[in-house]
Amino acid sequence: MKFFPSLFEVNGLNFERQGTLVLKGAAFRILAGEYCAIIGPNGGGKTTLIRLLLGLEKPTSGDIKLFGIPQNRFRDWNRIGYVPQRSALVDSTFPATVREVVGMGRYAVRGILGFESAEDKTAISEAMELMGVSDLSDRLIGNLSGGQRQRVMIARALASNPDVLIVDEPNTGVDVESQHRFYELLRTLNRTKKMSILFITHDIGVIAEDITRVLFVNQTVLVSQNPAEMIRCDEMSRLYGTPAHVVSHNH
Amino acid sequence: MLLEMLDYPFMQRAFIAGLMIAILASLSGSFIVLRRYSLLSETLAHVSLVGVSVGLLFGMSPLWMAVLASLVASWMIEYLRSVHGMYSDSVLAIFLSGSLALAIVIVSMAGSFNASLFSYLFGSILSVSTQDLWVMGIFGSLAMALLLAFFKELYFIAFDEDVARAGGIRVTMLNFMLVSIIAVIIALSIRVVGTLLIGALMVIPPVAAIRFGMGFYPTTLLSIAIALISVVIGLSASYLFSLPSGAAIVLCLLVIFIIALVINRR
Repeated sequence: MKFFPSLFEVNGLNFERQGTLVLKGAAFRILAGEYCAIIGPNGGGKTTLIRLLLGLEKPTSGDIKLFGIPQNRFRDWNRIGYVPQRSALVDSTFPATVREVVGMGRYAVRGILGFESAEDKTAISEAMELMGVSDLSDRLIGNLSGGQRQRVMIARALASNPDVLIVDEPNTGVDVESQHRFYELLRTLNRTKKMSILFITHDIGVIAEDITRVLFVNQTVLVSQNPAEMIRCDEMSRLYGTPAHVVSHNH
Repeated sequence: MLLEMLDYPFMQRAFIAGLMIAILASLSGSFIVLRRYSLLSETLAHVSLVGVSVGLLFGMSPLWMAVLASLVASWMIEYLRSVHGMYSDSVLAIFLSGSLALAIVIVSMAGSFNASLFSYLFGSILSVSTQDLWVMGIFGSLAMALLLAFFKELYFIAFDEDVARAGGIRVTMLNFMLVSIIAVIIALSIRVVGTLLIGALMVIPPVAAIRFGMGFYPTTLLSIAIALISVVIGLSASYLFSLPSGAAIVLCLLVIFIIALVINRR
């Protein structure tokens, strides 16, 4: 596998939606192996930034490079695993087993008419094993708890063996216990699998540990490689524009 | 007596056409049901009625005109939904009522082909010609090949369009392909099932199959089986009791749907 030190390289990125400026002049790099948090107030443009990185929105102006390749020429989308916001909220009657959902992560790799190969089967099994959902294989996704669904969605993202995992507000609709396990898992993936992680969170306490870079998004993007400095109460209060209290906990 | 009916060439043609349509409609219907897009089939059926009316009025092939009208409308609907971001139910409602209005105006202008039109509205086992079978065979095979080739991608899009797109799947192209396939299947189906009833053949089998709480692949197979059984029973009833074939098929589907509801009370 070729090694690109820069996973995402963004320069002069502007994005307008129906005449309203959502992001202005964003410029940052995220390197291979980083464990990166995106924070900021609601409506500040965090999800939009991720959607721009994934090509789900077109920038008004600016450049985005993925793995050193301009986004419009980038084709290896299976190298990026994506777990969207509210992914745990699935229609309870949707006819999809856990195995089928995780298998979707291999569809882009398999290509048109591609049948499931031994390699696909192994990747799916490993992703399910890693996320602890192997025993749920034949269960319908709609019959699972929020925490279980979340693990299935991450297993789907991991099935393509991505170099980077992007997770948008992972803890929407899941209980505290599942949140705790989730952050442990992200750390494990980053440390043991050397997988780069980029996630949006409102849980500012969690960014105190292990995070290598913080992107604070509120129309502009501020980058800090010193998370401990950034989450000081006075700095948070300044960035959010409202008094902030940072509470540490055991995540 | 039931096997006797297969001695008649018109019944042989009706069965071949009906079974082809059952497979195609239920297979493609699974995707639109899962995407909360069920009204698409109903809308395109009404649009195809415009094509039929134009065909009858100007002495052209109603089937070809139905295919053309349905295809053009499907592209316009998908364009308005995906590019202009209009609500899909609103777009469908506009096309549904608009096309019905247009068809009524065309019919009232002509006034002389009401009997022919009736068979297009409700389906008729007598109306399937050998030429129709050829057209259905060619376009049906193409539609089937595309559905099978992109089956897993269409399933992924139905489950989560954004993640499918982020994973490199060509969602926009596949969405246009799916609505085009559905447009063609609907237009081809009007001989047997009729424009007013084809929506049921697309929607009821997958909805009934989903009640059994299985994964997508077994659900799809069950959906196809339900459609095939309904077509066989419906066409037989149509022959035996001189009923419009489309109505007989849809009533069969409804009975199966009610059975599925009762078996799978939740």
